[in-house]
Amino acid sequence: MTAPLLEIEDLYAGVDGKEIIKGFNLTINAGEIHAIMGPNGAGKSTLSNVLCGKPGYYVTSGNVRFKGRDLLKLSPEERACEGLFLSMQYPVEIPGVPITSFLKHAVNAIRSYKGEPELDTMEFIKMVKAEGKKLGLDNEMIKRAVNVGFSGGEKKRLETLQMSVLKPSLAILDEADSGLDIDALRVVAEGVNALHNENNALLVITHYQRLLNHIVPDFVHVYADGKIVKTGDKTLALELEEKGYAGFVKEK
Amino acid sequence: MDGLIQDIKLIGEEIPWLKEIRAKGRNAFIKQGIPTPKTEAWKYTKPNRFFETPFSYTPSNLISISSNIKLPFDCYQINFTNGVFNPFTSSLPQGIEVMPIIEAIMFTPKVREKISNIAKVDENPFVALNTGYLNEGVYIHISSNVDIKKPLTIVYETLCTDRNDMYNLRNLIHVEKNSSVQIVEAFYYEGKVKSSYFMNVVNEIYLEENSHLRHYKLQDEAFKSAHIAFNAVKVEDNASYKSFCLQKGADMARNESYVELSEKGAHATVDSAYIMNGWATIDTTTNINHLKPYTTSSQLVKGVVGGQAKGVFQGKIHISPNAVKTEGYQLHKAMLLTDDAEVDVKPELEIFADDVKCSHGSACGELDKEQLFYMQSRGISEDEAKQMLIEAYLNDVIAKVDDEKIIEWIKLSLNSNKSE
Ligand SMILES: Nc1ncnc2c1ncn2[C@@H]1O[C@H](COP(=O)(O)OP(=O)(O)OP(=O)(O)O)[C@@H](O)[C@H]1O
Ligand SMILES: [Mg+2]
Repeated sequence: MTAPLLEIEDLYAGVDGKEIIKGFNLTINAGEIHAIMGPNGAGKSTLSNVLCGKPGYYVTSGNVRFKGRDLLKLSPEERACEGLFLSMQYPVEIPGVPITSFLKHAVNAIRSYKGEPELDTMEFIKMVKAEGKKLGLDNEMIKRAVNVGFSGGEKKRLETLQMSVLKPSLAILDEADSGLDIDALRVVAEGVNALHNENNALLVITHYQRLLNHIVPDFVHVYADGKIVKTGDKTLALELEEKGYAGFVKEK
Repeated sequence: MDGLIQDIKLIGEEIPWLKEIRAKGRNAFIKQGIPTPKTEAWKYTKPNRFFETPFSYTPSNLISISSNIKLPFDCYQINFTNGVFNPFTSSLPQGIEVMPIIEAIMFTPKVREKISNIAKVDENPFVALNTGYLNEGVYIHISSNVDIKKPLTIVYETLCTDRNDMYNLRNLIHVEKNSSVQIVEAFYYEGKVKSSYFMNVVNEIYLEENSHLRHYKLQDEAFKSAHIAFNAVKVEDNASYKSFCLQKGADMARNESYVELSEKGAHATVDSAYIMNGWATIDTTTNINHLKPYTTSSQLVKGVVGGQAKGVFQGKIHISPNAVKTEGYQLHKAMLLTDDAEVDVKPELEIFADDVKCSHGSACGELDKEQLFYMQSRGISEDEAKQMLIEAYLNDVIAKVDDEKIIEWIKLSLNSNKSE
């Protein structure tokens, strides 16, 4: 039996002195798709940021192992090089840094971490353009600076493009569907599905069952009050859509 | 100040004009002395601490090694090694003439009236000192009605010695009417830095009517050195002076541009960037004088300051009473990388005419942590991400350079770091 891709054990964590994650457990194996659903402010993005090592986020107790290694000891860039990827809820604009050179630096950083040679620039740009096209990002957009002047939906497409290019072993999609129109939702989902195979895994954070029609989860978790309160299969998402979180969140 | 003025015999003492102008320079220097923290024009940069080390003028016969620096773009190249002009080998096209300044003074007396004319000895002690040693440098003359496509590059290379040397270089650039040319200056050092040196450069630049000079400069001196440059420029009818200077080296440096827009329609663009670490002080000083109507100027200065370094920007725009319909713009922006980094900014507008458009602004920020994390979360190391963000920050000012190849070279220079 191979080790799980990600193991989170009794994690307590927070940000800016506020404890938000309180006793979180989750194991993800290669080949699986997990969905996390939960009310606003439950701590879903906090979990993503803790896993990716964002400065300002701290862990008070618990363990996180990624491919058997202590994830919490790694710098954000080492986590990325090990194969962790976060499609952010709010992607960041970087004026003056063109998408192509940004992605080229990222790919080559990961390749050099793995001891692989750098990619040929021309081939690389061709590949980025082709992947972008599939996601509805034309060549003109790809020449622009990272996220600058992009609409909400375009930013989400660009996150997906980055994922296609970086080919992570575990991709966390934090509301990859927010701001997408109906067609774009399908396009982005197709992009994500194309990358999924038995060697990698997805952790899909969403508010809407709709995305899960396209990216079909093996497990659906309900996340409330800093931990997982219920786990089921894809039908749990349908149930939530119908009844809301009332039955899962404790009365305040 | 001891030692800076030495009783050394320079070439050409038998020419009364030369003897006199040097004496004037020396006297003006002795009168003004090294600026103290109380000297208004130098109150932020405080060069005095640097001159606690005695510097001395080293006669050129001590130096014989020629440079092998080759810039990565096609150009006509002149080299100075440790302040001494290397005999010029490559051939120049019609219309451009380059010769040692001392030869020009000796054999073409009419150039004399252009020396010490806009770079005045009693307004700046380092100009005075430079004039006191008037000896090394080049005279560049562009005849009228020529368009020189390839840039002319002057490389100043300092091979580190164990003396504390002083180099005084004096260039005279004269572009006659309807001509255009690009001049690039690059200040480099070679070898292990054992001691300090002081590079003191004065350029006097005359742009006749409808001529155009683009003047690009890289200051990448050794970390223990001082670099002081004074660029005095006179711009006549519809002529333009467009400059960009990247400063990244030296322990104490000033690049000063003094521009006279002396006739109608004259234009100046005086842009700069500075990037520094450690304990360095890098100063950008501009003094743009709109003397006639319809003159225009613009300045964009951007800096990145790390370590315990200090950036200084002093920018003055002067508009004379009759200089109506003029436009003068100035913007300074700096990014501070550490808590101990500092910038001092002194903008000055002196507007004596009505009906002018003038503005200035200054802003200070830091590296965006969200951007940094975003890049790291994609696998890019913190150092590389910082470097990319710094380059992105400076991108707009560098992009104003007119020549793609030179832009590339500047960007390359931005990232090249001699391990010190
Ligand atoms: N820097 C911070 N300082 C203090 N509180 C914070 C900080 N960041 C997040 N929080 C709080 O932590 C809680 C969890 O936020 P988080 O963004 O993780 O929620 P979420 O589950 O992703 O919500 P949504 O569904 O709206 O995206 C919220 O109550 C939020 O206000
Ligand atoms: Mg969220």
